Amino acid sequence: MPGRGFSILIAVVLLVPAAFAQAPREMLDAAGRYVVVPAKVERVYAAGAPAGILVFAINPDKLLGWTRAMRADETPFFPDKYARLPELGRLTGRGDTANVEVLLRARPDLVVDVGATAPVFASLADRVQQQTRLPYLLLDGRFEAIPETLRALGRAMGDEAAAQRLADYCERAIAEVAARVAQVPPERRPRAYYGRGPQGLQTALGGSINAQVMEFLGARNVAGSVRGGLAQASLEQVLAWDPEVIFTNDPNFYREVWGDARWGAIAAVRARRVHLSPHLPFGWFDFPPGANRIIGLYWAGQILYPALFRDDLRSKTAEFYRLFYHQEPSAAQLDALLGEVGVLPR
Amino acid sequence: MAVKLEARALGYGYPGRAVGRGLDLALPAGEVLCVLGPNGGGKTTLFRTLLGLLPAQAGEVLLEGQALARMARADVARRIGYVPQGHVAQFAFTVREAVLMGRTAHVGLFAAPGAADRAAAEQAIATLGIESLADRVVTELSGGERQLAMIARALAQGARALVLDEPTASLDFGNQVRVLREIRRLAIDGYAVVFSTHDPGQAFLAASRVLLLAHGGSLRQGAPQEVITPQNLREVYGVEVRVAVVEGARVCLPSL
Amino acid sequence: MTRRAIPAYAAALAALALLTLLAFAVGRFPLTLGDLAALAANKLFGAGYAVPPTAETVVMQVRGPRILAALLVGAALAASGTAYQGMFRNPLVSPDILGVSAGAALGAVLGIFFSQSALVIQLGAFAGGLAAVAVVYTVGASVRRHDPILALILAGIVIGTLLGSVIALLKYLADPYNQLPAITFWLLGSLASVAPRDLAFAAPFALAGLVPLALLRWRMNLLSLADDEARALGVPVARLRVAVVCAATLMTAAAVAISGIIGWIGLLIPHAARLIIGPEFSRLLPLSMVLGAAFLLAVDTLSRTIAPIEVPPGVLTALIGTPFFLWLFATARRAWQ
Repeated sequence: MPGRGFSILIAVVLLVPAAFAQAPREMLDAAGRYVVVPAKVERVYAAGAPAGILVFAINPDKLLGWTRAMRADETPFFPDKYARLPELGRLTGRGDTANVEVLLRARPDLVVDVGATAPVFASLADRVQQQTRLPYLLLDGRFEAIPETLRALGRAMGDEAAAQRLADYCERAIAEVAARVAQVPPERRPRAYYGRGPQGLQTALGGSINAQVMEFLGARNVAGSVRGGLAQASLEQVLAWDPEVIFTNDPNFYREVWGDARWGAIAAVRARRVHLSPHLPFGWFDFPPGANRIIGLYWAGQILYPALFRDDLRSKTAEFYRLFYHQEPSAAQLDALLGEVGVLPR
Repeated sequence: MAVKLEARALGYGYPGRAVGRGLDLALPAGEVLCVLGPNGGGKTTLFRTLLGLLPAQAGEVLLEGQALARMARADVARRIGYVPQGHVAQFAFTVREAVLMGRTAHVGLFAAPGAADRAAAEQAIATLGIESLADRVVTELSGGERQLAMIARALAQGARALVLDEPTASLDFGNQVRVLREIRRLAIDGYAVVFSTHDPGQAFLAASRVLLLAHGGSLRQGAPQEVITPQNLREVYGVEVRVAVVEGARVCLPSL
Repeated sequence: MTRRAIPAYAAALAALALLTLLAFAVGRFPLTLGDLAALAANKLFGAGYAVPPTAETVVMQVRGPRILAALLVGAALAASGTAYQGMFRNPLVSPDILGVSAGAALGAVLGIFFSQSALVIQLGAFAGGLAAVAVVYTVGASVRRHDPILALILAGIVIGTLLGSVIALLKYLADPYNQLPAITFWLLGSLASVAPRDLAFAAPFALAGLVPLALLRWRMNLLSLADDEARALGVPVARLRVAVVCAATLMTAAAVAISGIIGWIGLLIPHAARLIIGPEFSRLLPLSMVLGAAFLLAVDTLSRTIAPIEVPPGVLTALIGTPFFLWLFATARRAWQ
């Protein structure tokens, strides 16, 4: 009879989507692997720091732990319960510290890594997946891919809305920065040198992930003629390059460079354009190579093109930290992040 | 005749193990003492004790009348010289440089050998008649030549007493004879010489006194013809020998 | 067989002088010979030529200290190697045999791991090197029942391996983005960051280590004899060894603290020098030091000029030194042993 048939129809129409919603889904990850992701994901293990940052940003309650325990200077930037999440180690195929049994005991629904998607890492992901029978998603960690990675992760975790908000923010930020940089003719883009390590002589070569922020901002990496990762430079070579801006990650080097007569001959040092990148709770400029560097775009952008980047860094930082780290930094914390002498011309 | 080397009631051995006890020895200048004994009988231990390389476990050793135990190493080196068995040449020193090393006890701590030292080394080389070898490298010498160079080094020390540990071991017959001849000549020149050997016949050829060591530390000492008898050798080595006089010289032949 | 002493010294010193001049003249910073000549005239004769502004910094503050450091480290490593090869009676021994490099590496790696300044890292390396040898020597000397040389070598290998494992652990635990690259670069060795202050630190210690070796230059020959022979000749062998180990360790620790680990010099150079001039230590030591200084200077100059990025000198010393040594090996007369 139409009444009963209609009820059945309603039931089917209502139940079928629900049935689909409960079923595991197959996702294609960034390394071209088909991974079966459970219907509901409540517990996520992040295999590397960049993955941890993204998972935490999307839904902090689903993150099982950090790859490295938070240090005392990093914990004030997070709500307490998140700062105290356990240390679960790295499982990225490079310098792994995770114990597979610890991983299993944590009972994750999903394992996520964000970073390189080359075949070697894909095969590591396959291996872990076979060993643990846990779905292992490998997502693209490249700068340009962050929005897409966020969306994919959001789909996997079932938090599409939160991920969408973050992805939109990143997309806007990247586009905004790229547009500003595009206005600068190539010859007006400063020549920059990135000096790592206690003597500032470790540098990032052209196309390296370490120099990504710098090169995305159009700065001409003085070491860029050689493609590669990290390498050692000699002081004489840096003098020959004579960069206009120097970025560094090492507070010891930053302290000593001002008094060193040899570095004093470099244009950047003479013009007091040596800048120490903020690093709490995650680095702004170089490592970990994840979405944490988005805020670094504005910071480094203001250093390279003060006329174009007139943002109020304090409010930008506050917004970024609210979105990604779920806690707005206090005024004192902002001072500490942004207020080093020489970081910004005041 | 000054007594160069003397042992009084000497007990020798390693910590926890006594090898020999109650040895009395007096070796004046011009005398050659031959030490015989089976492998492991304690010859090397005795030599090391006489040279002060091993502390005496009982009694004392005297060099030119003075207690060795109370002497500085350099003083000991100036009085008694050591020619080791089978010097292993690691580096390519010349014979001259090797002999010059014998002058260590005369050279100051931070100094290098001077003209007097070089002269003493040349003298030692001349005494042994090995001038033709002086500029050759020790690693290229035959066993016998190297042995002579080591004796020259001991002479260069300025010591008047010499201890040679199995100087003819692994030398060919000709070189064995050369070394024995040198030992006799050194005695004639006034040195007191102690040498060890596995061949009792060499004692007859070169020695004026013989010390026969057996396992368990028992020893016999005396003139060669008194000590090298078929009974003693049978007791110590467990083999039969005949001792005879041939053309006025004593020989010792095994009975096979 | 005659020793080619005078010609050998003359040739070695001439090579060293030429290399030094060459080293001043080349580099990644574009300086013409005219600039260099003008600068030299200014410095030596007080002339008033105009030189490009950074030229003086490059020559006096960057190249100068680096060249001096190369000479110092090369000479120190060669001297240590020469002393140890004589003392251990083995021409295949290097200054690292008692663990000074492993200890220095551990000290430096700890400094990097705890994010210390360059000065602290250097001090850590120096202290680590000294401490490692002290431990090795104590362990080796306390084993009474074996040949003392063998005991030392074994203790050196064991402690060196232990220190190596600790370093491996620290590398494992280090932050892979920040600390691990710094550790890797330190372990590869480099003179890239030598400042005048580093020279002021290392030179006194290296000289302090050289003095005993120079004073004992003739006595050292006696260490090549068996212990019993040397003692019978009047040499207090154990004390002499302690002196040699202290001297060589001071020199090597000072060198490694400023340059990181550069291998092969302490092993090959004394060997090559011995092939040329023979094992007599008072002749061998100076030649060895001159050759070591020249070799490392040549290697370091290549290291900083052939590419915009530094090539680790340890790699170059192995690549250059090994064929050179094989050639020397093949053409030397039989009497090198």
